[in-house]
Amino acid sequence: MTTFTVGWLYPDLMNIYGDRGNIITLLKRAEWHGFEPRLVELGRGASEQMADVDVFFFGGGQDREQALVYNDLLEYKREPLENAVKEGAQVLAVCGGYQLLGHYYQTAEGDRFDGIGLIDVATEAGTKRYIGDVVVQTSIEGLTPDTLVGFENHSGRTFLGKDVKPLGKVLMGKGNNGSDKTEGCVQGGVIGTYLHGSLLPKNPHLADYLIKRALTRRGVADLSPLDDSAELAAHGWILQRAQRQ
Amino acid sequence: MGVRKTAAVWAGKATGTLSRITKRGGGTTLPGDIARAIDPRILTRLTQDLTHGSIVVTGTNGKTTTARLISWLLEGAGHRVVANRAGANLIFGVTTAALNRASTGGRLRADWGVFEIDEASLPKAVEEIKPKATLVMNLFRDQLDRYGELETIAKKIEKALTNLDTDASAILNADDPRVAEIGLNLPRKPTWYGLDDTSVATTTLPHAADARTCPKCGSSLIFSAVYVGHDGVYACPRGDFARPAPDLTATQIELNGFDVLATTIEGNRIEIPLGGLYNVYNVLAAYAAARTIGLEPEYIAQRLRTFKAAFGRQERVEFRGRHLILVLSKNPAGFNETVRTAVDLAHGTNFILGLNDRKADGTDVSWIWDVDFELLKDRAQVVIPAGVRANDLAVRLKYAGVEAEAPQTDPGKALDQLIKTTKEGDVAYVLCTYTAMLDIRAELVRRGWAQPYWET
Repeated sequence: MTTFTVGWLYPDLMNIYGDRGNIITLLKRAEWHGFEPRLVELGRGASEQMADVDVFFFGGGQDREQALVYNDLLEYKREPLENAVKEGAQVLAVCGGYQLLGHYYQTAEGDRFDGIGLIDVATEAGTKRYIGDVVVQTSIEGLTPDTLVGFENHSGRTFLGKDVKPLGKVLMGKGNNGSDKTEGCVQGGVIGTYLHGSLLPKNPHLADYLIKRALTRRGVADLSPLDDSAELAAHGWILQRAQRQ
Repeated sequence: MGVRKTAAVWAGKATGTLSRITKRGGGTTLPGDIARAIDPRILTRLTQDLTHGSIVVTGTNGKTTTARLISWLLEGAGHRVVANRAGANLIFGVTTAALNRASTGGRLRADWGVFEIDEASLPKAVEEIKPKATLVMNLFRDQLDRYGELETIAKKIEKALTNLDTDASAILNADDPRVAEIGLNLPRKPTWYGLDDTSVATTTLPHAADARTCPKCGSSLIFSAVYVGHDGVYACPRGDFARPAPDLTATQIELNGFDVLATTIEGNRIEIPLGGLYNVYNVLAAYAAARTIGLEPEYIAQRLRTFKAAFGRQERVEFRGRHLILVLSKNPAGFNETVRTAVDLAHGTNFILGLNDRKADGTDVSWIWDVDFELLKDRAQVVIPAGVRANDLAVRLKYAGVEAEAPQTDPGKALDQLIKTTKEGDVAYVLCTYTAMLDIRAELVRRGWAQPYWET
C-alpha cells in the first residue's frame, strides 16, 4: 500500500486557528483514497524524516510562539524543506506559516524578521486587523468547485513578487493585503494563504489537489472519487451567506 | 448625592423597564449604556455605596458559575448581593446590574457586588469598581476573532492586577501556566489555588491546549499532571519556571456525571450538585474568595450542598418523560470538558451539539477542530449537529468517525429530531455555544418546557 505522509511543522506552537483540522482532513482523506496515512510531527530541533514527507503543513501562531520558531526554522527546517519541495513534496502554509515562508515580515516599528524565502512574497504589519469570512475564486486549474472558502484574521499585509501566482481572487473578504484583491499564493508545490476555518475540511477539492500532486512521484495517477456532500454543504453554506450580504 | 448620579440612575432604570415591556430581551446591557452616557463615573459612584465592597471574577471559563457560587455563599450568610447574573459581563452589563438594584433616589442598597468580568474588560472594571478581591480562573483560547490573541489579554489582566489597591486580594489559579506567569510578575504575592489529586489527572495535554512554553526560556513545559485543558502541574525542564505552590488545594476529588462532585478543601469535605472536573476549579475558586472575605469553612461546605446552577450551565429540562441536560460549551477547552463529562462520567448517548457564529459566540468556528469529538465515536448513539453552523459540525463529526444525524440549522427541528430519537425515561445532552443555547432555549420556552432565562 502506498503511504502518504503529512509533516506538521511546529504542532505545539503553530496551531492557533484550529489548524489541526487541516491535518485530520489530509490524513482521513488519504485513508479513504486507499493510502496508508502517516503523521510526522516536526517540533523544535527536529529535521529527521523530512525527506519522507508528502505534504507539509505550517500553521499560524501567536507572536510569542512565532518568535520561538524563527531561528529553528532557519537552522533545522530550511534546507530539508527546500530539498523536499524540489523532490515534489507539497506545502500548505496558513497565516503565520505563510508569512514565515516569504522573504521577510516587517513590524509596525520597521524591524525586519527574515523568513526563509521559499516563496516570493513579503509581509508588512498593517494597523487594522482583517477579520471575517472569505470567498476566493481560485486560479488553480481543474478545481471543482472553483471557489475556496475560509476565515481570515491577520494584520499582516502580504505582497506578491513576480515568481508567484495568487491562489485566487477575493470575492468576499480582504485577502493578502486588502488592496489588490489577491488572496494567498502558489509557487510550484507551495501554497500560502490566510484562510483558516479550518481550510481543508470545507475545501475537500484543495485537499485532494495536494494529496494527488504529492503522490504523483509515487506513481499515483488519479484519486478515487469520495462522497463529499457534507463538506460541500459546509462550503456552499458560506457561499450562500456571502451572496445574501 | 449628585444630581447627575440620580439622573443617570433614572434614565438607566427607565430604559430597562422599556426594554422588558417591549420584550427586547432581559434589558441586560442597554440601561448601563444610557446611564454611563449621562454620568461616565456612575459605576464607581454606585459601587461606593456597597457596605462591604466587590468581588470580580475573570478568566475564559467558569466565570458565571464561580460568581454565582460566591453570591450563593454571601446570600446564605445574610448579605445583600448585587450581581450581573445574565452573563452580561462587559462594563455596560455590570453597570446595568448595579442600576437595577439602585433605589430611585440613586442609592445602591447592597452589601456586596459580585461581578463576572470579561477578560478584556478587567482593567476598566478594576479601575471603576476597586474590588476587594479579584479572581483569575484560567486563560484558554476563546473567540480569537474578537480579542486578538491570548497574550494581549494576559498582559491587560497583569496590568489591571498590578494596579489593585494594597488592601485588595488577587486570587489566582496556580495550575494555569499563563495565569501563574501573571501572578509571579505582581508586586505582591497573590493567593494561589490548585488541584491536588492525580487520580483525576491525565499526563497528556488535549489538542486544545495552549500556552505551554516557559515565559523565561521558551522551552516546552513538562506536565506531571493535566487536569483541564492546559491546567495542571507543570515545570520548565531547565528549571526557569514552575507551578507556584498553591495556598489552597482541592484533594480527594470524586466525580459523578453532571449530578454531583465531592472534594476536600482545608480538611473539609465539600459536596455540591455540579458535575465535571472543571467545576472543581470553580468551587475551589469560590471557596478561596469566600475565605478571603472571612466566611468559615464549615458554613461554606454546608451551604454549597444546595447550590443551583446558572442559565445553560447544566440546567435540567423535563419533557414528555425525556430528561434534557443543557450545558453551555463555548470554546475548545470548555467543549472538551463537557463532552468528556457527558461521555466518560455520565455515560451519555444522545446529543444535540449546537454551533453558532454570532458575535457572542465568536465568528470564527475553526476551534471545533481542536475539540476531541473523537470521544463520541462508537459511544454516542444519536448526535444531532445543530445551530447556524450545523454543517461545519457535521463535517467535524464525519472526520471524527462519529455517525451523526443530518445537520439541523433550525433549533425546532433539532429538538424534534432529539425527541424522536430519544426514548421516554432517557437522558439527552444539549451542548451548545452561547447564542445556539439561547436559540434552543427560546424554542423550549416557546413550547412551554422551560422558563424565560431572565426570570430564573
